Amino acid sequence: MSGALAFAWSGVLLFGLGLFGFIMHRHLLRRLLAFNIMGSGSFLVLVGLAQDGRGVDPVPHAMVITGIVVAVASTALALVVFRRWYRASGRTDLPEDT
Amino acid sequence: MPWLDLLLGITLVATAALSLTARDLFRGVIMFIVFGLLMALAWVRLQAPDIALAEAAIGAGLTGVLLLDTLGYLRRPFGSRADPTDERS
Repeated sequence: MSGALAFAWSGVLLFGLGLFGFIMHRHLLRRLLAFNIMGSGSFLVLVGLAQDGRGVDPVPHAMVITGIVVAVASTALALVVFRRWYRASGRTDLPEDT
Repeated sequence: MPWLDLLLGITLVATAALSLTARDLFRGVIMFIVFGLLMALAWVRLQAPDIALAEAAIGAGLTGVLLLDTLGYLRRPFGSRADPTDERS
């Protein structure tokens, strides 16, 4: 088993862990953390599966860099929406979750 | 060094689990920042130093700062002071 394949399996595990946390947690910040971990796992799967003995494929690297930038932008947007929700209601979870 | 890759993968999964199961949220955010730095190390091992730099600066640094700032906002008593991002203040 090569190193890239080990990282791809770690990415699969991270994706499953993040999905589990995203389903299980009620607090919106914990849910956001789980979603970010899920995204990191998918990035590891993308780059880890794209490598073989012939070297490095730059196209998944560009995709993953774009994905990191989009992830931090959407995280910032989610944090602003969460702040407004907390300010308006005083809750840190959604009412339909209870 | 395949043992280093295996150890790094195990540590990544363990750090993510600790970040998701932390008792208080501050510890969870700190473990998430540690997770981002370990991810940068994993990108270096995957021969992608550009993604490593982006992850260390953006994924660990900027996201960690934003999460810690939101935690500080949650520590205030509800409705005490106006949100600086609130234009109705």
